[in-house]
Amino acid sequence: MKKHITTFITLTFLLCLQVVFGTDIMAAPEAVGAMDGLTTLWNFTGFANIDYFNLIMISVGLFFIFLAVKYDYEPLLLIPIGTGIILGNIPGAEAYGVYAKDYLTSLVASGQLDAGQATPSVLEYLYFGVQQGIYPPLIFLGIGAMTDFSSLISNPKLMILGAAAQIGIFATFLGASALGFTPQEAGAIGIIGGADGPTAIFLSSKLAPHLMGAIAIAAYSYMALVPVIQPPIMRLIIPKKERAIKMKPPRAVSKTEKIMFPLIALLLTTFISPSALPLLGMLFFGNLLKESGVTERLADTARNSLINIITILLGITVGASTQASVFLTTDSLKIFGLGALSFIVATAGGLLFARFLNVFLHKNNKINPLIGAAGVSAVPDSARVVQQEGLKTDPNNHLLMHAMAPNVSGVIGSAVAAGIMLSFLL
Amino acid sequence: MTLLSVESSTWTITILGWAIVFVALLFLVGIFLTIPKIIRWASNRKVRVVENGQEVVKDINDISGETNAVIATALHLFLNENHDDESNVITIKQVQRRYSPWSSKLYGMTNYGFPHNVSKQNRYSRR
Repeated sequence: MKKHITTFITLTFLLCLQVVFGTDIMAAPEAVGAMDGLTTLWNFTGFANIDYFNLIMISVGLFFIFLAVKYDYEPLLLIPIGTGIILGNIPGAEAYGVYAKDYLTSLVASGQLDAGQATPSVLEYLYFGVQQGIYPPLIFLGIGAMTDFSSLISNPKLMILGAAAQIGIFATFLGASALGFTPQEAGAIGIIGGADGPTAIFLSSKLAPHLMGAIAIAAYSYMALVPVIQPPIMRLIIPKKERAIKMKPPRAVSKTEKIMFPLIALLLTTFISPSALPLLGMLFFGNLLKESGVTERLADTARNSLINIITILLGITVGASTQASVFLTTDSLKIFGLGALSFIVATAGGLLFARFLNVFLHKNNKINPLIGAAGVSAVPDSARVVQQEGLKTDPNNHLLMHAMAPNVSGVIGSAVAAGIMLSFLL
Repeated sequence: MTLLSVESSTWTITILGWAIVFVALLFLVGIFLTIPKIIRWASNRKVRVVENGQEVVKDINDISGETNAVIATALHLFLNENHDDESNVITIKQVQRRYSPWSSKLYGMTNYGFPHNVSKQNRYSRR
């Protein structure tokens, strides 16, 4: 403990030196020999190049890690992203970040560096998968291989709830346009309402690459905060009596139906929205690997090893793309505001549509409107929230299986919406 | 910020986009409401059971998940109770195997008596 305190005090002292005396504290032009070397060393340290904005971003990264460790909010995403934010904001390490090429090009242009020395960094190579939209379809492959569409096939009408919740995407698109964003930027921001990180990254990499960091962070942050954002809206919109509705258990689904679902859904959705092919193609391919029953090895790789590798690469590089100079802008603040709004609108849209749907359903076949909130495609968090809210009203009312239906249809719906946005705006 | 200042094309994308998402999923709903009926029609499995002395043809496609769960549990319990037929002979059988140096204990590592775990006297006595 004593050692840690000493290290902390030393670091604080070094930081204070720089804050009080400025970055030129050791710069002595006439110095030679050892002093000259020390000056050079000092100038290369993070302490000499520190910026308050970097410190703010590092705090955000640490906060993400805290949320993941302490409250278990999407730890598989928040820990890589939080670490990535810290990596991307180490002062003086611009030549090793995801924007290394731009930085080195500017140094070469100003004559401070030879063109031969301007080699890209490892993080920049890994970021290529984000920039070119390679990682999101691979994540979808894994999601497809781990998703069971049985609840959706057994009660197909619940699929409409997934479509209803996509109002969040289009309402945010409208709001972003009203705030002065270009149509392409507004489309990329709107997809935050889909509550689907890979789709948000995929679409923003095509429509507004300069906003990708902010959009991805907003999407993942709000996805992690689903257990905080959704319950108050659910309680506000759905009366207690309706929250207690018990739904019929889903029927057993045959293997034939399970195999037919990815094939039919793939053909239908990609015919309607061909631009969503990379996402939907991989999603249904992954599901076919799972349901065919003869490619268990491939399905196992897709849902475990592959998706884990891609999650690590995606998380760390998206986090590292939030360099303070690029990230801390008024646009980012607007994106965060719009993101929160889109989650609220999407949740409310799903809930209200579920209540509306109940008007047309038979008395014995009503749906519990709470499952409408799972129409936002934060799989499986929003379905889990629905289950918890259902249990709070009636400890014997288990809604998880029913909520998974709109939840997975939300994934399909948001991918279709992304394809439509691409068709209209690219 | 006013929504009225938004271009008409933005409104078009908003309304049309949402409508297309709805239509795509409505198509899927329609297809997956129809497919079980087609499968049922195609398989058309029926069983004949005797009720009150009369043979009755019954459709077995309409089995609920609960019924399936009950049948599966009953089968599971039954098979767990069920043992293979055993000979009931409990004496140890003498097994004769052909000699093979691969499994010979004579060439095992433990027989060499390395100095660190076998005393000198033991090594001599082995000879």
